[in-house]
Amino acid sequence: MNPGWRQEVLTFLFLLLLAIIGGLVFRHTFAWLFLSAGVYLTWHVINLYRLDRWLRRGRQFATPSSLGVWGEIFNHFYRLRRRDRERKRRIAYLLREFRNSTSAMPDGVVVLDALWEIIWFNDAASRLLGLRPGQDLGRRIGNLIRHPDFVGYLRHANFEEPLDIPAPAAPGVRIALRVVPYGSDQRLLLARDVTRLYRLEEMRRDFVANASHELRSPLTVVSGYLDAMRADARLEGDWGAPLAEMEHQMQRMSDIIKDLLELSRLETEAREAPFAPVDVPSLLQRIQREALALGYGPRDVAVEIGEPLWILGSDAELYSAFSNLVFNAMRYTPDSGGVRIRWQADGDGALLSVSDTGVGIAPEHIPRLTERFYRVDRSRSRDSGGTGLGLAIVKHVLQRHAAELNVESEPGKGSVFSCRFPLDRVTREARIA
Amino acid sequence: MDKLNLTHHISQKFNEELEDVRNRVLAMGGLVEQQIVDALRALTEGDSELGRAIEQHDFKVNQFEVSIDEECSRILARRQPAASDLRLILAIIKTITDLERIGDEAEKIGRFAARLAEQERPNTNYREIEHLGNHVRTMLHDALDAFARLDAEAAVRVAKEDERVDGEYDALSRQSITFMMEDPRTIRRVLDVMWSARALERIGDHAKNICEYVIYLVRGKDVRHSGFEAMEREVLERN
Repeated sequence: MNPGWRQEVLTFLFLLLLAIIGGLVFRHTFAWLFLSAGVYLTWHVINLYRLDRWLRRGRQFATPSSLGVWGEIFNHFYRLRRRDRERKRRIAYLLREFRNSTSAMPDGVVVLDALWEIIWFNDAASRLLGLRPGQDLGRRIGNLIRHPDFVGYLRHANFEEPLDIPAPAAPGVRIALRVVPYGSDQRLLLARDVTRLYRLEEMRRDFVANASHELRSPLTVVSGYLDAMRADARLEGDWGAPLAEMEHQMQRMSDIIKDLLELSRLETEAREAPFAPVDVPSLLQRIQREALALGYGPRDVAVEIGEPLWILGSDAELYSAFSNLVFNAMRYTPDSGGVRIRWQADGDGALLSVSDTGVGIAPEHIPRLTERFYRVDRSRSRDSGGTGLGLAIVKHVLQRHAAELNVESEPGKGSVFSCRFPLDRVTREARIA
Repeated sequence: MDKLNLTHHISQKFNEELEDVRNRVLAMGGLVEQQIVDALRALTEGDSELGRAIEQHDFKVNQFEVSIDEECSRILARRQPAASDLRLILAIIKTITDLERIGDEAEKIGRFAARLAEQERPNTNYREIEHLGNHVRTMLHDALDAFARLDAEAAVRVAKEDERVDGEYDALSRQSITFMMEDPRTIRRVLDVMWSARALERIGDHAKNICEYVIYLVRGKDVRHSGFEAMEREVLERN
């Protein structure tokens, strides 16, 4: 038995003994018992009162001191509170350290709740995103960062890719935003300064555009002379074949440059294609006629229009994407095969598919098809006259129209390239947007 | 500062509707801001394609206006809001009208930019109008920030900027007159620049209007046509 309780029992026995002795000596045993019980009870009540007062005040750290079991209880409380305070101090320290370290981070960090309301952010976030400490807590992030791309990013809730926008508060700065969900319905918004990367990217784009542009003029001169030489009857004999080959290669070079320029134009322009109505059925028929006039590939080219849907987009870009798909199909399909172009409504949106019965593509190549100058079979495709940039152009055009490219293929049997357009890009007739 | 208890409503649904419509207004504001940025870029970089693209994006702004308007009338009819909720709805209805007009002005600038891009460019390369443009753009940005934060003091500050925008516009028009007198062949081009500057100045006015709605929304007091002193008094007194 611990000392507190021993003391308590002794006190109790002492009071009891006192009452019995008092009763034996002075009679009225019950009165004596009652009296001592009263004393004992009062003492407890007083201590209860002190405990209650202490708990109520809360701020007072030292507990009242007392004897017996109450002393023991007060001691326990004291120890509990001390341990509590220790723990609180440690947690506060950790939290402070954590916040200090995230504050020191060069990247902006914003903690958001399930409703996109701001819970906390660091210094870099207030610098890059223009958030104000104190004032902006509890506001929705979309109300303060209102760039249309960001609003769309939040709405589509597809956070696999970071989003590049100009920093709302810092002029001339580009930031990459990324949303990372964590815990139960909380999100971290990370903002990173990517100005340098963006500039490098810009330089690369400018370089490709300028280089292709500069290459074009000498090429024009050379091909002009070649034309003249081909027309010259004196060179027909020995030089006929080499000149034809030179002209062929010249054509290839100028095709590559044309595609490079097209690609760099697609890259430099705004992320979204314009919303002009495009008559897809007649566009496809035009491509079909051109495909038959190519001079290679199968004669069996069919266009199937499921529904006469139009697309809101750019006529020239869609033409270049679709014709690239169709001419590719022509290139890789033997003369005995066939190419089908289908245009139909599909769930929510529209689907264009180009299927062929050509050589097909092995599955390991499919993910890399849209890379520039990626070749499945180096020797083969060069003969067939592709530039190696066609599918990269297709990818870019589709991206700008919020569409997806899907490739299914089986070696030896043929391939299906399909493009799915979302509902807000599809329209039923020539509605003027 | 929040007398507007947007988050304490008996009806959770009503609350969500109000918050949602406010979000849409700010999203529309973001779109309009971007339109101005694009218009300015088209003007200063001589990008005629970008200038024309703005025209095509204007329909999105218009769609926003129509759908927010519908939503507001629905809330008015169904919920019959009172006090600050009513003020919020009224302020929103007015704000979107101004935003839509700003969108139209941006479209106008885009059109002028496309036309100017096809002509010979002066050696200043329209830098002077870029300055005015950036000023106006910041004004709109800050006005929308004040709306998002329900910050009446910031709204007064932004509204005051309008005087400086007007001053800049005056300076620009005087400069343009000088250009036209010096060389009458430039008149056509300078006039286009003038119209763009005029559109920017109008955008500044609309941004100021939005600030007035913010003050009305937060303080419950109409400060239109009352001058800055009255506006300032109204806002600062209550603090």
